[in-house]
Amino acid sequence: MAVFMDLNITYTTDKKRLRSVIETAAHLGYSTVAINYVVDLQQKKQEIGKPKCVLELFDTFPIVQGKSRPIKVLNRLTVVASDPSHFRPNAEYKAYDLVAVYPTTEKLFHAACMTFDVDIICVAVIEKQPFFFKRSPINGAIERGVFFEISYTPAIRDSTMRRYTIANAISLMETCKGKNVIVTSGAEKPLELRGPYDIANLGLLFGLSEGDGKAAISTNCRAVHLHGETRKTALGIVHSMKSEQPLTERQEKEDVPASKRAKIEMAQ
Amino acid sequence: MVRLKSRYLLCEVCVSDRRNLSLLDDRAIYTATKAAVARAHGDYGAALSSLGFSVKYLNAHTGIVFLRCRKSHYRLIWSALPFITSLENRGQRVPCFLNCLHVGGTIRTCQKFLVRYNTQQLHRMLPLCQSEAERSEIRKSVLSCTLKKEADDEEEDE
Repeated sequence: MAVFMDLNITYTTDKKRLRSVIETAAHLGYSTVAINYVVDLQQKKQEIGKPKCVLELFDTFPIVQGKSRPIKVLNRLTVVASDPSHFRPNAEYKAYDLVAVYPTTEKLFHAACMTFDVDIICVAVIEKQPFFFKRSPINGAIERGVFFEISYTPAIRDSTMRRYTIANAISLMETCKGKNVIVTSGAEKPLELRGPYDIANLGLLFGLSEGDGKAAISTNCRAVHLHGETRKTALGIVHSMKSEQPLTERQEKEDVPASKRAKIEMAQ
Repeated sequence: MVRLKSRYLLCEVCVSDRRNLSLLDDRAIYTATKAAVARAHGDYGAALSSLGFSVKYLNAHTGIVFLRCRKSHYRLIWSALPFITSLENRGQRVPCFLNCLHVGGTIRTCQKFLVRYNTQQLHRMLPLCQSEAERSEIRKSVLSCTLKKEADDEEEDE
């Protein structure tokens, strides 16, 4: 049984709902979830606040179905941007474990794939894709280790969204050949989550092969998590550890073999 | 020799409110699944799901369902399961979702998986119980799906 992760749970100020979503995710078998804070920089200077401390939500994290470890909760920031200049502030980004960008224009998509310091690039699912995917920025992103995210909850809510989701997903698959793709929920309520095997099967609808579908929720998500961790280090050598994080993370970091470490340095 | 092979999808119905679970019956799940497949895959899906598709077993206490479909088309039906958002039963609408746990070729393999899964559930739920009465009740309802008694349970539910 692989490690399944769901890297997109929309942040709500309602703590009870957030708690029930995370409990449902643990019941379904997800070992790690990430709470997503969406920031839209077009609307007059929204500030990127610090994420809420994860320990405030739970005294004891719910145990994952099928394993004996508690579920792990990360923080993630999504920046909705249409202008490359929006994406500069770097100080607050360190507080988040993962950083994602949602490009709305072709230029920004190209810039995000090649130069931005992000882990995830979100693919539009609630509207028709305003620009076409070109092979060169996507290949550049695959080399750097940036992943493309498809969110499936709008497809569950509404029929027209379903069409957009499937259309955009298939056009992405044609260009990237199924590599570097993750599938996540965008769940706001606990009833919008789906089990990991169901999602791997949904990947077939999106044009992923069977192995790619399973990888999209397990190994690729883990790669995203590691990619986010290396951003906190200076070129992959120094690791600063927050006091509330468990010790196993540091051991995980030190176990990264030398060849991978070199690649991470070059990617920075 | 031509043998008609089928796949059994073992699914769990998850509701937010446990009391609504007892309202379920197999016809509701049957109609909901057929409607979802028709919506997702159109007329082709609706035609496929009328072939050899049935709800074989439903346990209203724990929310376990066995769905049976043909081996050639089980992926299509499985891919439409995430789109089910609610079950309709006698005019009452229960919001829920189906979580597929296991796919097996026979009912026996699904039952073996179910026994293992239920023991895991026991391990999860028993420490959280407050009183002894709750504990024994949970033990009883979860352990009622054993291999020996499965034939009896099936006959009862059908």
